[in-house]
Amino acid sequence: MVFSSVLFLFRFLPIFMICYFLVPRKMKNLVLFLGSLVFYAWGEPVYIFLMLFSTISDYVWGRLIEEYRGKDRSRIFLLCSIVINLFILGFFKYADFLMQTVNAVFGTSIPFLNLPLPIGISFYTFQTMSYVIDVYRGDTKAQRNILQFGVYVTMFPQLIAGPILKYHQVERYLQDRRIDLDAISYGAKRFVTGLAKKVLLANNLGLLWKQVTELGTDQMSVLMAWLGIAAFALQIYFDFSGYSDMAIGLGAVLGFHFPENFNYPYVATSVKDFWHRWHISLSTWFKEYVYIPLGGNRKGLPRQLFNILVVWMLTGIWHGAGWNFLFWGLWFALFLILEKLFLGEVLESVPKVFGRVYTLAVVLISWVFFALESPGEILAYLQAMFGMNGVGPVNSLAMFLSNEYLVLLVIALVACLPLGSRLVHALKSSKTGPAMALYRLGEKVIPAVLLLLSVAYIVDASYNPFLYFRF
Amino acid sequence: MDDKRNSLLTIGLVCAVLLVLGVADLWNSDRVYSEAENRVLASRPAFSWESLFTGEYGDAYEKYMSDQFVGRDKWVGLKTRADICFRKKEINGVYLGADRYLIGVNDPDEYTEQMENSRVASLTKLVNHWDAKVMLVPTADNILTDKLPAFAPYYDEERLLTKVRNSIGEEHYIDVYHALQEHAQEPIYYRTDHHWTSLGAYYGFLAWADSVGRFPYPYDVNGRKTVSEDFQGTLQSRINVDWTKDSIQYFPETEKKAISVTYDFTDTADSLYAPDYLDTKNQYGFFLNDNHAFIEIHTEYNPGKTLFVIKDSYANSLIPLLTTHYENIYVVDLRYYNGKLFQLMEQYEPEQGMDVLVLYDCIHFLEDFKYY
Repeated sequence: MVFSSVLFLFRFLPIFMICYFLVPRKMKNLVLFLGSLVFYAWGEPVYIFLMLFSTISDYVWGRLIEEYRGKDRSRIFLLCSIVINLFILGFFKYADFLMQTVNAVFGTSIPFLNLPLPIGISFYTFQTMSYVIDVYRGDTKAQRNILQFGVYVTMFPQLIAGPILKYHQVERYLQDRRIDLDAISYGAKRFVTGLAKKVLLANNLGLLWKQVTELGTDQMSVLMAWLGIAAFALQIYFDFSGYSDMAIGLGAVLGFHFPENFNYPYVATSVKDFWHRWHISLSTWFKEYVYIPLGGNRKGLPRQLFNILVVWMLTGIWHGAGWNFLFWGLWFALFLILEKLFLGEVLESVPKVFGRVYTLAVVLISWVFFALESPGEILAYLQAMFGMNGVGPVNSLAMFLSNEYLVLLVIALVACLPLGSRLVHALKSSKTGPAMALYRLGEKVIPAVLLLLSVAYIVDASYNPFLYFRF
Repeated sequence: MDDKRNSLLTIGLVCAVLLVLGVADLWNSDRVYSEAENRVLASRPAFSWESLFTGEYGDAYEKYMSDQFVGRDKWVGLKTRADICFRKKEINGVYLGADRYLIGVNDPDEYTEQMENSRVASLTKLVNHWDAKVMLVPTADNILTDKLPAFAPYYDEERLLTKVRNSIGEEHYIDVYHALQEHAQEPIYYRTDHHWTSLGAYYGFLAWADSVGRFPYPYDVNGRKTVSEDFQGTLQSRINVDWTKDSIQYFPETEKKAISVTYDFTDTADSLYAPDYLDTKNQYGFFLNDNHAFIEIHTEYNPGKTLFVIKDSYANSLIPLLTTHYENIYVVDLRYYNGKLFQLMEQYEPEQGMDVLVLYDCIHFLEDFKYY
């Protein structure tokens, strides 16, 4: 099930929330656990067993690690857990990619498994790994209550698109959380904001990207290519951060406090800064569980550069089993290394705007590798972006599409900047009458309006008539 | 205390939207068909354990809920209004043109060279077999170019028509394209529907007469009779907001003499028009009783002259104008007729031969025409 569907908004969510708030505090985890299973099973009934297996497996390893703390066996148990997790991830996500590569290199023809990827698998395996590692390190105690642990793994708000919760971030809420009116109100607003970002902005920007990519690159002028990749950049940001907003909002309603996952990434002044602002829960995960254990920056520069390379290769293929994703990760590694070596210092000594332009250029080009899969397509698109395909700077279709999407693009660009939240903050913190009144009014009216508009776009998304049915 | 009340109000509003609509949706009864969208809506999927396990049931159920959601037509309209606020000029495959014209979008990339060539080849075969005349009517986007949004792309039908003309030969080709282009400033297309108006069809009729070398029946172009002033056609349905209204007119001369019309070999009528349709959404069905696989028309004009028409719905408003030139007219619509066209034509061809006319709009020609 996805959040941006009629089924979720008008069936699952009301029924779930009514149950959740009606049952006594002790039962809330059970309701949340069962609700999450229903949510997950709706689209992927079979893979629910995989998720439950993963839950039980890491629950047991966690207990064993703690039981034998300080002994050699505890290290073996940690290894078991990680091997199992990586095996699950590797089997379902990377097996076909691996075979494809092996086939291509050795000319073999190993048949593909063609398994559909279990939804959210990259998110929940990372969560359970963070748990066993935390337990092994002694940063946290093993969870004795399997229901609480099950809630941590399967919790529906962040199950399918993050943020990736590190166990120590939510441990205390699993045990006991308060229902707080302010938090619920904040959560409701946050959820609706995320929904609107996904449905009103991301989906419509996606339409522009789709229109651009459906054209052959032989019709793609420079303006169109940049329009397209900008649309994709905005789409993926609003889609992803919208999902995070919805997760954080739902979490707040349920009494959790989830970490932030995005922090206006497109105003970043360096690539390093970008990754402090983009999918924060993933980059900190790799930092805590890969980069630092590898030695981080404590073992000399060459080792540090090597560590950066490893982390970014992993980050790349975490996003998908394909060479383009690996390349995408390496692209960022390249600029991070350059920044580490000298570029970072240069950027700090010049006005911020240079850093912003440079970062945006690096990121926008990176989206070409991310969004298109085959090297041929990627190359053709890059050629179009730099006017090397002979179509010229502008053509009439590019003009039509820029007219068509101008308002949406302007809104999206403004929404990328921290202006809105600064305004809200200013209104909220002003003690004067009119500003406060405006804030009070906006806080109630805007979510309701955004919600209604989002419903209209959700209902109509299936509006794809076979027009001449009766003509 | 004030903060608490504020939080409650915000929560209340969001919950109210979700609950009120959710509950209203429970009471909402299912529709089979959406008149506004002109399509069959998804119905409740049949439950089976197997479909549940494959996830098919879940997907079908989501589709069902969204299709049957309470007030669906209103939501679609709200979305269009929001799109209009975003200054979008293309909504659900419709251009919002100047002068309140809605113009159907025909994406140039959708119609390939290969598609054109195969249709033109079948057409040429038919023309050579039957010495037929061909009238392919351009759609509004090609003629009302000044009403299209700036830089709007459209499929270039003039190029297709040149190809047709070269393939079938000048003497078989009726140049309705330029005939309509000359009158582009007149209401020759509906504002809310993808068809041409009776006036447009009249100019098509003149082009036909010119091409076959006949003196056209002297219809009084200003004497058209209006039968409806609240027609909102297929393009309007696609955007689902109250855009504008069209009027439907016909030429009363076509009813001067007795006429007999037989639809699909069974239902007989004594008029070319079906006023019943004016009370439905599909008012264009007024002409020739909407679409039928086969229509047989007998008139009191020109004894012994026979015409065989292979057509789509654009022809429905033109055929009445042709009745003053033929005793017998046979009309086949290949989208609904399942038999062999060749056999049907042989069966109806009288000893002294018959005229054959292929009459489509360019898009339907590319999508539907065949000869077999």
